[in-house]
Amino acid sequence: MAKSKKEIISIQSVSKIYNLGETVVKALDNVSLSIYDNDYISIMGPSGSGKSTLMNIIGCLDVPTKGKYKFKDELISEMDDNQLANIRNEKIGFVFQTFNLLPKLNAMQNVEVPLIYSSLGRKERIERAEEALHIVGLQDRMTHKPNELSGGQRQRVAIARALVNKPSIILADEPTGNLDSKSGNEILKFFAKLHKDGNTIIMVTHEESVAKLSKRRIDIFDGKIARDE
Amino acid sequence: MEKLLEMNNFFKNIIIGLFSVRSNLTRVILTASGLTIGIFTVSIVSAAVSSIDKEFAKSMDYYGNDKVYVGTWPWSFDFDWWKYRNRPKIEESSLEYITQYSEYITDVSIKKNTWTRATYGNKASWVQLNGVYPSYQDMLSGTKIENGRFFSQNEWDLQRRVIIVGGTVRDGFFQGKDPIGKKIRLNNVTFEIIGELKKQGIGMVPGGTLDNLVIMPSTTFERILTRWGFDELVLQTNPEDIPLAKEEVGMIMRVARKIPPGDDDNFAVNSADAYMEQFNTMKNAIAGMGFLVTGISLVVSAIGIMNVMFVSVRERTREIGLRKAMGATNFNILTQFLSEAVAIAIIGGSVGIALIRLTVFGLASFPIPNFNGATLPISFDLLLVFYTFTVCVFIGVLAGLIPARTAANLNPIDALRDE
Repeated sequence: MAKSKKEIISIQSVSKIYNLGETVVKALDNVSLSIYDNDYISIMGPSGSGKSTLMNIIGCLDVPTKGKYKFKDELISEMDDNQLANIRNEKIGFVFQTFNLLPKLNAMQNVEVPLIYSSLGRKERIERAEEALHIVGLQDRMTHKPNELSGGQRQRVAIARALVNKPSIILADEPTGNLDSKSGNEILKFFAKLHKDGNTIIMVTHEESVAKLSKRRIDIFDGKIARDE
Repeated sequence: MEKLLEMNNFFKNIIIGLFSVRSNLTRVILTASGLTIGIFTVSIVSAAVSSIDKEFAKSMDYYGNDKVYVGTWPWSFDFDWWKYRNRPKIEESSLEYITQYSEYITDVSIKKNTWTRATYGNKASWVQLNGVYPSYQDMLSGTKIENGRFFSQNEWDLQRRVIIVGGTVRDGFFQGKDPIGKKIRLNNVTFEIIGELKKQGIGMVPGGTLDNLVIMPSTTFERILTRWGFDELVLQTNPEDIPLAKEEVGMIMRVARKIPPGDDDNFAVNSADAYMEQFNTMKNAIAGMGFLVTGISLVVSAIGIMNVMFVSVRERTREIGLRKAMGATNFNILTQFLSEAVAIAIIGGSVGIALIRLTVFGLASFPIPNFNGATLPISFDLLLVFYTFTVCVFIGVLAGLIPARTAANLNPIDALRDE
């Protein structure tokens, strides 16, 4: 790992504690982590280990109970809901296991969703969405609705949606979990290409074979980082 | 610029809200129909009330706000027939007492009333006949001589057979041509038309229309037609003097008729403002009932919309989570769901307006046969449309606020995990 690379994310002594009535759950326990430009990271760990919590915090969907989270120069751990929403909109692209496409919108409109919450005009939104669908190779499927697309194609639409705002990092939560192995491999190849093109990718998975393709692997166990290499 | 971008964002969220209305059209229409009924009733009630008002104003013009009428019957809806039927006829001679003693009455006329058959060629019609003094020319209210002239003192003295006709005679007998100089027969006596009155339309007065009217000298009326017409005294005063004038005229009448102190009046002093009270009571009763029913249906439809909005939020929890993950702020989501609720309300209101428009159109295109081609007086104004939309937006916001807030405050992580 070339340490001379620019640091994008700096997580310092972050804890996340859930208060579930009687019991207190420490989902993350004093975790520190740096993520650099053009990293390709897989986060692994059994269910309940805290990997989803880490993912949510990195993705600015949640704020830590304790510790500091800096994204570039911005202190995420101190932000309110609106500021977090803006960071998510501008800096982060999400890819979900279940695609999470809106069934009533076509591929093009689905890709456009993040742009609606930015300040772009209509013309520019369309151009950007077309460009993103072009990158994932779905330029012929722009007007298709999700139920007219295969699983692999749906995930590619979701990736296009993640790319459309030119985010600093792409967060993928089990992106191949709902796909057959052939489509899954295609998606993984695609992630490799995105990485080669200079994108920063963070992927949560529990499949060894998937994790092997990434350049850096972080194992989480009981809310602590067990391995980072 | 910042402001402009924010506005732009605001409208984008409204469009998203409208889009989801389109994709659930059946449900939306069913929900909105409650509001349609509410808006329809409120419109009908307002239209009815404003029409009553308009007609009423016209009727007020007919009687005038500056006149006192003396007759046997009081102008009231709850009169006691047995009490009034045996009252003595109004005597024309009372006018002399009034002219002599009254401080407030500036001009007087008799008004003899009857209904008679008017014929011209082979056409016939019933008309209301008034026999009056020449002074009545200046006491016409709500209308005036539009064509020709009133009869003169000389014609009155000589009991000439000259008449002034109301606006419907021209259309009924002369196909819209000038009736001046023409001769028509009333009760088989020939009369010459010397003047024509301006049209007034339908009013809430006995007989309904104000235009089916023929005026002639009271002397002629008495000699040629009947001595048994129903007589009234028409007394001119100033609008602000009406209460005093009525009281004064009542006292003079008692003296003229030599009614002993303590006995009841055997005549009635009337004026338009007494009518006004009666009408206002009626109008308020109609409006009160209508608005109560409407209020209930509006509340029920607001609850309906709220319910559908809760369902919509529940169904689209994942969508909300996704939109938030993609950068939608709480305010974005709030706007989206609020505009959905308002859109449902406006759809309901618009259908209501379309219905009321159709109803008004339907009513207006069926003339009432007995009123010489006049139609039922019901009005429809643009202000109503404006009020309806205001009410719809208000109800939409009211009904949508709690569900939209629920949606806006959802935690994106939980929302995304929703099955």
